[in-house]
Amino acid sequence: MKQGLKQKISTTAILTILVLAGICFLAPFAWMISTSLKPLSETMSLPPRWLPSKFQWQNYREAITEMGYFWRYASNTIYLCVLTVTGTLMSSSLVAYGFSRIEWKGRDKVFLILLATMMIPFPVTMVPVYSLFRNLQWIGSFKPLWVPSFLAGAFNVFLLRQFFLTLPHDISEAARIDGCNELQIFWKIILPLAKPALLCVALFQFMSTWNDFMGPLIYLNEQKDFTLALGLQSFQSQQGGTPWHYLMAASTLIVLPVLILFFFTQKSFIQGIATTGGKG
Amino acid sequence: MTRMERKRLCMGLLFISPWILGFLAFSVYPLLSSLYHSFCDYSVLSPAVWVGAENYSTLFNDDVFWRSVSNTVFFAAVAIPMGMVLSLSLAILLNCKVPFQGLFRTIFFLPSLVPMVCLAVLWQWMLNGDLGLINNSIRPLLNGINQILGTHLVPPNWLQEAAYAKWGLIFTGLWGVGHAVVIYLAGLQGVPQHLYESAEIDGAGFWVKTRHITLPILSPVIYFNTIMGLIGTFQVFAVPYVMTGGGDGPERSLLFMATYLYQNAFDYWNMGYACAIGMVMFLIILSLTYLSTKLSESHVYYEGK
Amino acid sequence: MIRYWEKWNGFEADAMRVIVDDFNASQDEIFVEYSSVSQIDRRLMLSIAGGIPPDVAGLWNYVLPVYAENNALTPLNRYTEAAGIKRDDYISVYWDMCTHRDYVWALPSTPSSTALIYNKKLFREAGLDPEQPPRSIAELEAYNEKLMKRDEDGRLITCGHIPAEPGWWNALWGYWFGGELWDGKQSITITSPANTAAYEWVASYPERFGARDLMSFKDGFGNFASPQNPFFTGRVAMVMQGPWIYNFIQNYAPADFEWGVAPFPSVDPERFPNVTVVEADILVIPAGAKHPEEAFVFIQYVNSQAPMEKLCLGQRKFSPLRETSADFFTQHPNPYIREFHDLAQSPNARPVPSTTVWTLYANEMNQAFGRIWTQTSSPTEALSDVQTRMQESFDHRARRWDRMENTLLTEWEKP
Repeated sequence: MKQGLKQKISTTAILTILVLAGICFLAPFAWMISTSLKPLSETMSLPPRWLPSKFQWQNYREAITEMGYFWRYASNTIYLCVLTVTGTLMSSSLVAYGFSRIEWKGRDKVFLILLATMMIPFPVTMVPVYSLFRNLQWIGSFKPLWVPSFLAGAFNVFLLRQFFLTLPHDISEAARIDGCNELQIFWKIILPLAKPALLCVALFQFMSTWNDFMGPLIYLNEQKDFTLALGLQSFQSQQGGTPWHYLMAASTLIVLPVLILFFFTQKSFIQGIATTGGKG
Repeated sequence: MTRMERKRLCMGLLFISPWILGFLAFSVYPLLSSLYHSFCDYSVLSPAVWVGAENYSTLFNDDVFWRSVSNTVFFAAVAIPMGMVLSLSLAILLNCKVPFQGLFRTIFFLPSLVPMVCLAVLWQWMLNGDLGLINNSIRPLLNGINQILGTHLVPPNWLQEAAYAKWGLIFTGLWGVGHAVVIYLAGLQGVPQHLYESAEIDGAGFWVKTRHITLPILSPVIYFNTIMGLIGTFQVFAVPYVMTGGGDGPERSLLFMATYLYQNAFDYWNMGYACAIGMVMFLIILSLTYLSTKLSESHVYYEGK
Repeated sequence: MIRYWEKWNGFEADAMRVIVDDFNASQDEIFVEYSSVSQIDRRLMLSIAGGIPPDVAGLWNYVLPVYAENNALTPLNRYTEAAGIKRDDYISVYWDMCTHRDYVWALPSTPSSTALIYNKKLFREAGLDPEQPPRSIAELEAYNEKLMKRDEDGRLITCGHIPAEPGWWNALWGYWFGGELWDGKQSITITSPANTAAYEWVASYPERFGARDLMSFKDGFGNFASPQNPFFTGRVAMVMQGPWIYNFIQNYAPADFEWGVAPFPSVDPERFPNVTVVEADILVIPAGAKHPEEAFVFIQYVNSQAPMEKLCLGQRKFSPLRETSADFFTQHPNPYIREFHDLAQSPNARPVPSTTVWTLYANEMNQAFGRIWTQTSSPTEALSDVQTRMQESFDHRARRWDRMENTLLTEWEKP
């Protein structure tokens, strides 16, 4: 009985904290949605009001039209996301395996070099990388946006390497003794155990590509090739004032797919309990 | 080298070959190019002219550069620990058996989905001195304190006051801890249940379990998030850039190293100088990462090793 | 086919699109493809570096020197000479801002000038004659005294003019005091007596009204492009603005808003009458463009009287050409467009300094202005900091020019 009560109290306490924190985290987002439903004159009003005087659902439809090629941008973005997620999963897992499950001379020093590459500030690499793509004549196409993901970005390798390291040494050794080669160990043993981490990487890559606007800004020339994140830029006007309601409406639309994706995939993290550490 | 070692070396290199290619193209080449240009007077569109260490000596004497360094260090020193505590706590809480787990996880992850341009604008509005949400929530509290203690506390105009601007930015950053939370959650799934169960049998409470089981097993992930935090905060650029409209903030309080680099490269057509700043940034982050790695060696527990 | 990158969005973009369509319809050889590009300066620099720039690009006059000296543009001299386009065809300031080091680099697209915009109703309520705007700084301050109102707690609710609103030309206040930002050759002159006087005038505001009060006052200002713009809600009775203010008034100000336009007051209206800041959007041909001749044909078209007037009418600005048809003014919706137009022709119409370090200069002055406004430093201190940094930067650029001069001149003289 005492155990049950203690359990209830801790659950309630945790729930309370989560609810309070949740409100803090949700508030700006709620503001975003509320602004998206206001008529333009109320968007930046003083004092700020939460509820629009009338709900302008048509803002969403109008924002889509304002942006021009909304559906085209959406399909471009999905195309890029599929490519980059595939490329990332394939290459990062292979490379992370090499950095964690095989003992070779100099491995950890090379890994530090990998870490170091993440510290090169972005504007510094912008111009040389641009000229590289220029020489390959890839500017104006989608290639600069997805080909690099097949070459294993440092961030994802780092993430996966850390996870692979949490898996016990013995399972690899046992497999080697049984005569498996590295590729088989990789494919049949390690990868299945790392599902939560792989899902993590896939999700992050999806989001990163979905929201990336710097890359498309620099490498894409034709407006019909643009992505959604880049399309949002078209709402920012210099001397005409930004149409906040459209910007927020468009942003909400853009956030929604990733949100839904996340909500449904985060459950699989829980499934991961059984596969990674649940052995009794 | 023994035959075994050679075989392992080959396998290792084979597995990491995709990365090596990318490394040469996207890291080595730009880094070398940047290093070379840091010793030149270069403006991207005209040929680079070698000037030796002139950029570095100017950099050393440049007050604005040192300001940007101190701003960046302050920001990192505050944001990293705060972020880590917040994300770790949230992850642990979200891992407990509470109703609506999925919903909560989504709520905390939500902010990191918001597009950059929106985020900056949204938070600019939230941090507004008179009418922002933050101040309107704090004000009743401060008024209460004022009445009790007779003080005259007033919530600051976050982004317009030099002393508070960075704090405004830190709050914006904390709002985006969703990434780190998700990573910690994934890591928490790897903690073997049986360890918790045996600990409970021995009478261990929540804190004991966390300190002696969760944290050590999670340590590779904590290391990961800390390093990523280090690298990320030292390169903070996009959000303050949009918030200040490309400027420095009040009394340069929002001028970070990456901002100063970007300004020099693209606004002032001083790419050589910008590369010098880049090299310095790179070295600073490199040394800090090396230090953290050395420090963590005794604390990080890798089961797979 | 030639590519044209332009920075505009919204109705400004539409106005140019009409001209592009007209041009395409009027002949068969050249087709102009118009794109609205955000962050045009970054993308332009990158595309020139990559060897694939557009054929025509829209920039701002104040970046012209730095683009020119960094070899980013194609000189237009041979085209303008062949087409017979010369300085006399334009209001002189607009031609001058398109030239640098004796080369023509651009032709203007849409110009602007700045003036004092004031709220007639607030004038009347304060007992001031709405047809007699202030002409000198002293008069401006006298008007300020009358227009300022505080509430019971002593907080500011209305004021006349404050330099921080809108705060778009913080570096240029010296112009109304007879000051110059550089001597046209080698030196930065921000610490000259005239400039110091100007910034002491700026510093007088926090001294008279209280730095904290002014800051809280400004906090309560709404977004510029909204009905809560402080000028529209009557919190600020006078601002310095350009012709575009008409568009904002149409979209956001209350229906009964009464406004007037006059030259912004200078310290001595006899010696320095009709001082205004002139700026323009300009059309350039980037270096390495594949079709420069065709690009120029298009630019020339935009600069001929009828298309230019159509464009400027569409953007609600005035025309940079010396000759303007009478119809233009009668058709123009902005009732005060003539005032802006005339100001641009005044001998005291000033552009920003045509130096390559202008972006840095403006940034430094914004910082200095901020410090003066919050009383963190005195005007003399703030200005002398700017002087030191800017002179250093300027010397560095001068050295760069010396090194590159011969190479660049050879490049620009090539057929």
